[in-house]
This record gives sequence, structure tokens and C-alpha cells, in this order.
Amino acid sequence: MTTLRLDTINKFYGAQHILKDIDLDIREGEFISLLGPSGCGKTTTLRCIAGFESVSGGKILFGSRDMTHAMPEHRDLGMVFQSYALFPHMTVAENLSFGLEVRKVSPSERARRIAAVLEMVRLTGYDGRYPRELSGGQQQRVALARALVIEPSVLLLDEPLANLDASLRDDMRFFIRDLQQRVGITTIYVTHDQSEAMVMSDRIVVMNHGVIEQCGPPREIYEKPASQMVAGFIGQSNSLAGEVIGREGNVYVIETQDGKLKSLGRDGLTGAVRVMIRPENIENAAAENTLSGKVVKSTYLGDGCLVAVETPSGSRFTTTMPADSALAAGDPVTLGFAARKAWAFSA
Amino acid sequence: MSAAASPAPNAVTAAPRRMPVWWMILPALTLLTGFLLLPYASIVVMSFREASTSAVYGPGLTLGHYTEIVTDSFVWGIVWRTLRTGLIVTVVTLLLGYPVAYHLARSRSRWTSLLYICVISPLLVGLVVRTFAWLIILSNSGLANTALKWAGLIGRPIIFLNSSLGVTIALVHVFLPFVILPLLGNLQAINPEVAMAARSLGASRARTFFKVTLPLSMPGIQAGAILVFVLSISAYVTPAMLGGSQGRTMAVLVVQYLVDNFRWPAGAALAIFMAAITVSIIALYLRLTARAMRRLP
Repeated sequence: MTTLRLDTINKFYGAQHILKDIDLDIREGEFISLLGPSGCGKTTTLRCIAGFESVSGGKILFGSRDMTHAMPEHRDLGMVFQSYALFPHMTVAENLSFGLEVRKVSPSERARRIAAVLEMVRLTGYDGRYPRELSGGQQQRVALARALVIEPSVLLLDEPLANLDASLRDDMRFFIRDLQQRVGITTIYVTHDQSEAMVMSDRIVVMNHGVIEQCGPPREIYEKPASQMVAGFIGQSNSLAGEVIGREGNVYVIETQDGKLKSLGRDGLTGAVRVMIRPENIENAAAENTLSGKVVKSTYLGDGCLVAVETPSGSRFTTTMPADSALAAGDPVTLGFAARKAWAFSA
Repeated sequence: MSAAASPAPNAVTAAPRRMPVWWMILPALTLLTGFLLLPYASIVVMSFREASTSAVYGPGLTLGHYTEIVTDSFVWGIVWRTLRTGLIVTVVTLLLGYPVAYHLARSRSRWTSLLYICVISPLLVGLVVRTFAWLIILSNSGLANTALKWAGLIGRPIIFLNSSLGVTIALVHVFLPFVILPLLGNLQAINPEVAMAARSLGASRARTFFKVTLPLSMPGIQAGAILVFVLSISAYVTPAMLGGSQGRTMAVLVVQYLVDNFRWPAGAALAIFMAAITVSIIALYLRLTARAMRRLP
């Protein structure tokens, strides 16, 4: 069931085209990440959904209701901001109570729900504290609790972990994902951190320059990127330019300057393409595809070596090799990888 | 000092922290002592002196001036009028200034700097010139009355001059920047996402304003209100030029005692009396507003 639908959303700031034909269907209970570099339009998209930005064209539907022009307070959303945006002049309990009072929830019901949500975010006993008396991580959980206590239909999170230190950030990823699963709430999460998006999401929406580059489950985004931008933004990748010259079953044959390669790719691929291979899928041995080259640089990492290889055509590859492979700059090397581990997309 | 003689770099950065800096406040302290505290002390002393016809004051000491003032209903009338004018000016400048400050704090328009100049414009014109302009505008056949009559809003001219009304209007004009500027700083420091959070939780614009933005801007309101109130009740030129006898305030009365009537000890007592009232009102105000702000960080 679709909870939220964005139907060809466009947004202009003066002459600047910020969002271009954004189409997105979000299912009930789904955790969706909007991922992309800064300025890609992910936060603008979220603010359009929340009602803090008006759209220049297109429709926003909550279920079957058209909410394109509804006020933020009428959208029944819970939102967590990057700065947490807790009310500094209210205690934790008053912060949580705010949305319930607006909804005219009775005092006894308010107390019950506040206690329940505080237990959920592991902050029982913090009712009387002011936000300034809490650590960053605790403030974050209060912000989350404040958004959840009103039992909204959709939860919006705008880079909520960006202001936390690294170790806490890792814990909070799993905490938020776990909480989302328990509550079962439809969630839209904005982030520029690809690893956050990978571990938390049911689907990732990769955005760039105001368009959706690709939308799919983390595995699909990682293994079958739709473009060089997606391949480069998510994880480490190597790629080689080439041209499709044939197809054997589901494997494309691609002519490159360093020889013929076999690769998977989506159906209907023709003409100029790029072949992408993740570093972890490259072996230092002959395989279905082989590339010969020279080592440019080898960096010892402890559990292995990070080796940069240059092919005769001048393309650079990085790969990890066993720590005892003892390769030095200038050594000739043969790189091999399986056709099913390579992925081609339109250049 | 040669490079070789200078201490290690980290010692250089640490050194100024250990150096006493109290002497840096000496110039300001000297100025305050010489030109504020000492004159005040001499006024206090003068207020207890006997009146004299041959000198500024006589040799004897008396409480007579104070008892005369606190039992004079005419003085209390002027005290009341002064405080009432101050209160009205404060409330009106807050009501007019808050939306302007809010707009300046939130707007990203390039016209904002123009508005900013408009806001501080009353301070860019000399006091006497500005008050003369008000005299011309507010006289019985002046611009304001002519325009109102032409628009058919009034039959007879409104008496602006020789009353508190004209004084109030002119003071509101000149003191508007004194509420806008502290409020602007305060409102700019409030994270805009806080108001957005309130909206996302279901609060209307009005509820968001009264429950979130307004309480958070109390420090700016408090600072602006104190400034305007103190400046209004101690203003001299504006009530002297526009107020006449019907709009006379305490400051005008004190000058009248000193300059026109040459009653220096009584004038001094009146000045001290007024200062005491002002200080008590501010102390009371601070106590009351401190309660309203005790929850703020």
C-alpha cells in the first residue's frame, strides 16, 4: 500500500531548477533514504513533503489525499531536524507534551504516552530535564521521541546523526532502524552518508543535481548502479569505458581499449558504456576477464595491501591484495574478475 | 625583542591569560567616577542643603525639600504623567518594533538592508531638528491635522502639541530602534528549525508564535523595554519642545526648578526623587521578568 506519493515534483528558486520531475512511491512501513551530495535536492525534497517549501509543480499525495498545498501542521508528520530543534525553554516532558496538547489529548493519556515513548528511547526518568542538560545523543533521542509520540503517519529525519560523534553515530543507526521496525512507521531519512543509508534503508533514493539517479534496495544500488555517479558515490569502484559489441546470454561483451570484457548489465544496453568492478571482486589471477597492468602504488593496510594499478590505456584500478603479495611500484600484474561480478551501465 | 629571546610559541599564547587586565578598564572607570558618580554625589549632598538667595545653597542641612516634594500633589501628578508616557511609549514601540525585528531577522531579501537603514534613521537626525519637524507636523494647522481633515476623519484639529500625545508620538519615533536592535539580535539567535518543529507537531502559526518564538525572545523584549522606558522618562528636549505645560514631565520640571526658579537644592531633591522611583521600577521589572525568563538557557 502506498503511504506517500511524489508525483513529478518540480521546484524552482528563481531561475534555479532545484528539483526536476521527482517521482517516488513510498510504501507503508518502508524505510527510505534520500542520499546524495550536498545541494542535490534531498533536503528540499524532504521540506516539500513536510510543507516547509512549496512545490512549483507536481503533487504530493498522502494515501489518496492531495496534500500538495496543505500547511505543515495539517500533514500529520513527525520530523527530526539536524539541529534537533528541541524547545529550549521546555523540559523533556513538556517538549513531548507539545504535540499532544495541540491534538487535545487528555492529561492522563499524555502522561501514559510520554512515559511509553521515553522508555522506547531509553530516557525514562529524564522528564524534568531541560534540553541544555542533556548530551547530544540524548537530545537526539528526545527529538526522535517528540516526533514519534504524536503517532504520525510518516516520520521524516533530516540528517539526524550529522552532529553526533562517530562512535555514537554507529550505535544510533541501529537504534533508529530498530525503533522504526518496532513501531512500523513509514520513514524518510535524508543523509549524505552512504554507509548510513546502506545499513538502515529498505530502499535508497540516490539524488544528484535535483534528479533521482536511482532508486532501489541497498544491494541493488551497490551491485547494479545505474550510472557512474551512483557507482562512485556508493562505496569504492573502478570503471572502464567501452562499447557494447554483443551479448552472450545475459552477459554483454564490451570492447575496451584494454581488450574485450564480459559483464552483466541491465537489459537493452547499447553503445557507449562503462564497466564497473568493485575492488573486492578483483583477484590477482586469471579469470573470465583479465586486465594486465603495472603497479603504480602499493599501500600496506595491515590486513592487506591497497594496490593501485594502471592499465596500458591509462585507466587506474584500485584493489586490495593479501598483505604478503609484496608488490612494488613498477611490477607487472594481471587482474582478473568474473563476468557476474562486473556491471555495465550507460556512459 | 629578538627572535632568540622570545619564549617558546606555546608560552607566547599562554602568557596573556596570566597577565592582569584590570588596568584596561581604568579610562572608562575614571570617566564614570569623574563625570557621573561625583556629580551625583554632589547632587545628593545639595538636595539636603538649605535654600539660599545669595548662593547656590545655604550652609545648613534639611530634609525639607524631600518632605515638600512627597507631599506636593502637583509633583505626583507630573510623576504619574511621566511614568504613564514612558509606559505607553514602551508598549507602543514594542508592538511596532517586534514585527519589524522579526521580519529583519527572517528575511533573506536584498531590500532588508534598506529597511535596516530606515530603522536606524531616527538616530541619524539631530534631536532638535527632528523635534522641530514634529512641531511642524503636529501643530493645529500642521501636516497631520490637515491630512486627517482632508480625509474627512476629523472635524476639529487634534491637539497634539502642549499635551502628552505629541510627546508620546515623537518619543515612539526616536526610540523605535532601541527595541528593534536588541530584539533583532535575539531573534536572529533563535534557531528557525525550532519554530518549524512546532509547526510539524501540529501547532498553527499563532500557537507557534505564542508558545515558542515569543517566550524565546523574552530577553530581547526585556532589554529593549528597559532601554526605551528609561530613555522615555528621562527625555528632556522632546517634552520641553512639544509638551508645553500640559505635557510636562519630571525632567522638564527639574530643569525648571534649577534654571528658571534657581531653586538648586529643591531641584536636586526632585532629581534624586525621580532617580529613586526609576531605580525601584526597574528593580521590580527585573524581578518580574526574571520569573518569566527563568526557564531560558
